[in-house]
Amino acid sequence: MPSMDTITRNLMLDSLKDYARKHLPYDFIRELDRKNEFPAGVLKQMYDHRILGVHLLMIPVEYGGIGGGTYDIYRICEMLARIDLGIATSVFATFLGSDPIRVAGTAEQQKKWMSKIAKENLFVAYAATEPDAGSDLVNLRTLAEHVLKNGKLAGYRITGNKQWISNGGVADVYTVLALAPGGPSWFIVEKEMEGFSANKHEDKHGIRLSNTAGLALDNVYVPKENLIGETEGQGLLQAQSVFGYTRLMVAAFGLGAGWEALETAVRYSQQRIQAGGPLSEKQGYTHKLIVPNAVRLEASRAYIEEIANRLDKDSHGLQTEGAIAKYYATEAGNRTAEDAIQALGGYGYTRDFPVEKIKRDVKITCIYEGTNEIMEMTIYRGRWQEHLKTRGRYYADVADSMDKLNPDAGADSAGLAMNALGAIMEECRLQKLTRHQHVTFKLGKLIASAEVAAAFARATAQQAYSESVKFDSRTWQAMSRICARGAALQTAVEGLALVAGAGENPQGLKEKLNLELIQEKQQGLVLDMDFVADKLKQTFKAK
Amino acid sequence: MHIAVCVKQVPDTTEVKINMETGTLIRTGVPSIINPYDHFALQTAIGLKKQHGGEVTVISMGPPQARSVIQLGLALGADTGILLTDMAFAGSDTWATSYALSKAVKKTGRVDLVLCGMQAIDGDTAQTGPGIAHQLGIPQITFAENVEIEGKKIKAKRLTDSGYEFVETQSPALATMILPKDYVCSYPSFVDIFESLKKTYHQWTAEDIGADTAFIGLKGSPTHVNRIYPPPQREKAVMVSGSANELVEKLIDILKKEDFLKGVLNHD
Repeated sequence: MPSMDTITRNLMLDSLKDYARKHLPYDFIRELDRKNEFPAGVLKQMYDHRILGVHLLMIPVEYGGIGGGTYDIYRICEMLARIDLGIATSVFATFLGSDPIRVAGTAEQQKKWMSKIAKENLFVAYAATEPDAGSDLVNLRTLAEHVLKNGKLAGYRITGNKQWISNGGVADVYTVLALAPGGPSWFIVEKEMEGFSANKHEDKHGIRLSNTAGLALDNVYVPKENLIGETEGQGLLQAQSVFGYTRLMVAAFGLGAGWEALETAVRYSQQRIQAGGPLSEKQGYTHKLIVPNAVRLEASRAYIEEIANRLDKDSHGLQTEGAIAKYYATEAGNRTAEDAIQALGGYGYTRDFPVEKIKRDVKITCIYEGTNEIMEMTIYRGRWQEHLKTRGRYYADVADSMDKLNPDAGADSAGLAMNALGAIMEECRLQKLTRHQHVTFKLGKLIASAEVAAAFARATAQQAYSESVKFDSRTWQAMSRICARGAALQTAVEGLALVAGAGENPQGLKEKLNLELIQEKQQGLVLDMDFVADKLKQTFKAK
Repeated sequence: MHIAVCVKQVPDTTEVKINMETGTLIRTGVPSIINPYDHFALQTAIGLKKQHGGEVTVISMGPPQARSVIQLGLALGADTGILLTDMAFAGSDTWATSYALSKAVKKTGRVDLVLCGMQAIDGDTAQTGPGIAHQLGIPQITFAENVEIEGKKIKAKRLTDSGYEFVETQSPALATMILPKDYVCSYPSFVDIFESLKKTYHQWTAEDIGADTAFIGLKGSPTHVNRIYPPPQREKAVMVSGSANELVEKLIDILKKEDFLKGVLNHD
């Protein structure tokens, strides 16, 4: 689905920001967090089409929605995360819960349910995870048995338990994954159906405003019309097909939560005087706790935007890319929040400042929608296939394309990172090192940082600054150079260590990796960091 | 009834910085917003439409991205949006802007009431509204807190230095709106924003409104801006307290100490 024009999207963001300013002050959110309370009234207001109608963004126009594209939803998710990640999660749960219907439902099912969700402001929940089946859905235990009437299939009886379901205790409609005779399948279950019940709201580390609960299904009868797509056995494929898109949204959560924490730290650092000057003037502070995080977050943004634009053109797939975005941006957001506590010192450790809550909240983004370890595996799998299919040309080709771009944008170092990645993967193939799971997951990590750096360099070189970028082109260039230098060094050094650690350190690999050139390219790093530190201060002034 | 509202897109002045070397505004990364006074004018117009029926037209002049404030107006309930956008308008001061906006108002046909914000938060001139009234040759009520319509009469409560004035005039007239203290700007829902895309929207050039090019843009602007700079920071005030006699003594001490009394004392 194509995205809306910038002006329309920005007006929606303004309305959302205004709603949060008026109705969701920090003290209010903090109190709900303390009480572990889901603000149902707030969510219903946010769904109300006269007030916001935020859930309508993912509902197609023909069913009474406004049909937002991936790019639109990324921007809204980023802002929701800046407001409160618990509220963001609850909204996202409705998006996610409706996805099986939106993607795989029959025309009739889509019309019936999407219109109902749009019109009645329904909360939806996505129920896949089980006590013994998390990332590994093959172990699904919830069963859906045929119910026959006059020898013909009339419906299903579903029995089983679901766990960690966002909106679990508050949703009106659930999409439930269960094992039918024909294989895993999605079913639409309504909260008032007999035999259906939700457990208590979990007492969580973070996102305490988001309701999370287990579900119990005891012989719940659903008519056969509630089998999504009306074909059994498509459930896992259907679930997979939206991961590119849904994981991008979680990436946007990492981005939003990270920036909220970092902005707080940057503003604070200009007021806090230590040893005769503000912290914002001290490299020991900025170059450790602030600048690297700003760089990783903006790199995440560049990557998310590239993939969102591609999804808007192509509308499906890009699972490896979705995993890279989710992995990189949520690790970046989590790390930023951690560093923001450090940056605020004692204040950061108290609940008077929002960074403590952001840190607790953002951790979930590394866990849900596929843990980041599953992301490492997914990324590795996807790209390993490409590496084999192209006989090792995959990253060499990307490296070549980097050579054509402006080196001021960090494209030279990003190209070196790509080249090093290709060489490391080839060495892993030659030595058959991917028999070690450790190697495969670590490759996933290196792939993510190198590919994100390349996307950042591409966006910067092509001057693809979207409306979401708060910095001028020189600042983005400096950030992109910092990112690319780091990615090249990390890929080469960690890659070498990986190969040596798991197999033999072969002659000539160092040369293939261009380690010396990568080291040379580090020149100017500190100056760039000084520049970015200064720009951050100008952009986010002390309040 | 037809109400025209003139609005302006301005940088969010709470985030504007000045480049001290060049004396120009740094606008990179600074979000643009609708001028808050205009936001109130717009909501006043929409309130009047709800009460009396009729139509609201929202008009602005600016670069193509100023469509944003027009679309906001449409999403909040205006019926038609018009953006005057043309390189020929670039550099217009308040005089040239008033001329162009008045031409656009005229082109929309019969107008009963024109509403504007009392001033824009970026320029603070408060001249454009009165300028439009002048160009249209209609009565103007400045600094209005509210406006009511009774038949052909336009009634307003206007703020003065010493309190409020209740005034009335005949339509067509123009009013510029202040921001009442307890006023809360409302923002449209996602649905209203989406639906606003279906409303009538025009982009008009100088030629479209039949503007004489001698009266618009830099050429048509008698005002010239030489320099922009932030006002110097005020020095910290010293507060003194005590009885009247004590205060007089303290004050004379300060004046003596600062050498302000030299000329006065030398006089005798």
